[in-house]
Amino acid sequence: MSELRTTETSPPWEGLEGTDRHAACLVAARAGDRQALNILVAELSPVVWHVARGNGLDRPTAEDVVQTVWLALLRHLDRLQEPRALVGWLVVTTRHEAQRSWRANRNQVPLSAELAEQLPTESWLPEDEAVRVDRDKRLWAAFSRLTHRCQELLRLTVFNGRADYRAVAESLAMPRGSIGPTRGRCLDSLRAQLDSEGGSR
Amino acid sequence: MTDVDPRDDDYRWQDTAISAGLDRLVHVLDAPPADLVERVQFAIALENLDVEVARWERAGSFAGVRGDRPGTVTFTVDHLTVMVSFTPTGGRHRIDGWLVPPGQHTVEVRVSDHDSTTTQADDGGRFVLADVPAGTTQILVHLESVHGEPSRTIVTPTLML
Repeated sequence: MSELRTTETSPPWEGLEGTDRHAACLVAARAGDRQALNILVAELSPVVWHVARGNGLDRPTAEDVVQTVWLALLRHLDRLQEPRALVGWLVVTTRHEAQRSWRANRNQVPLSAELAEQLPTESWLPEDEAVRVDRDKRLWAAFSRLTHRCQELLRLTVFNGRADYRAVAESLAMPRGSIGPTRGRCLDSLRAQLDSEGGSR
Repeated sequence: MTDVDPRDDDYRWQDTAISAGLDRLVHVLDAPPADLVERVQFAIALENLDVEVARWERAGSFAGVRGDRPGTVTFTVDHLTVMVSFTPTGGRHRIDGWLVPPGQHTVEVRVSDHDSTTTQADDGGRFVLADVPAGTTQILVHLESVHGEPSRTIVTPTLML
């Protein structure tokens, strides 16, 4: 398909941003456009990665889960009813895979979704050499004690920036008006953790 | 996307030290691996997209096999387990595998920047690929058709070998 396209015809996602762009890519990907699929992978893999990490997976397991989620999407390309819901599907599927990995790798009783949200993660530190600065260590330790829900939300809102609240709300299935206050409470928790560490600011 | 909802207005945004710290955490300390996108793009560059994903089981002593170490990796999907062991042979690999339950399925090994290598499992589910190039590697199992039904394809995430 894509190879038949002349140079004068721009791809349907060109000039679009955010959810519109990704919906256009998904529609093209369904029609067999591999370039559109690769754009989705390039632009949305960081979201999948941060949801996996925010849900307590170590880095190697998060890498596998990112791949598993994209491979799973291949079969779902035609089944996603609403192309604009792609990010939401990726987030939900990643959470599901993260819980599954917890079960499989740690031989634990599966966490209920509610419990998983409330449970502070253990310190899944990135490679030691990456966290060599003391201030980074304190920040990382404080962040790791936040709930999964807070870690996920803070990672995604940093990633997306403030203007994308609506997209974040859609992907996290949160009422739009609750993103700001929830994020505020998560930041308060983070600040309290940092302060109790002796302050890093 | 650029409209600002007053409900989002929040003094905490003014906390630049925390914001800078979070930004550093997400974009520097815990950024995705540099080659992740490339690996995913390789993993999904399949002829047939109607595939089932086998998950990497990391439990046990073989957990986290990475890099150039020999080891055994197990992938599972609902109705099939794929066990593979890798033995380095001077920059390349010998792959010994076992499908459970057994079946004379076609096993394809994709390595990035190389042609696929294909073999068929024996009736005990065992297969050997004696000489596979090193690199980002993915295993596909094309299930043998039963009763003339269209066969399915199982794919694994990629390994770095």
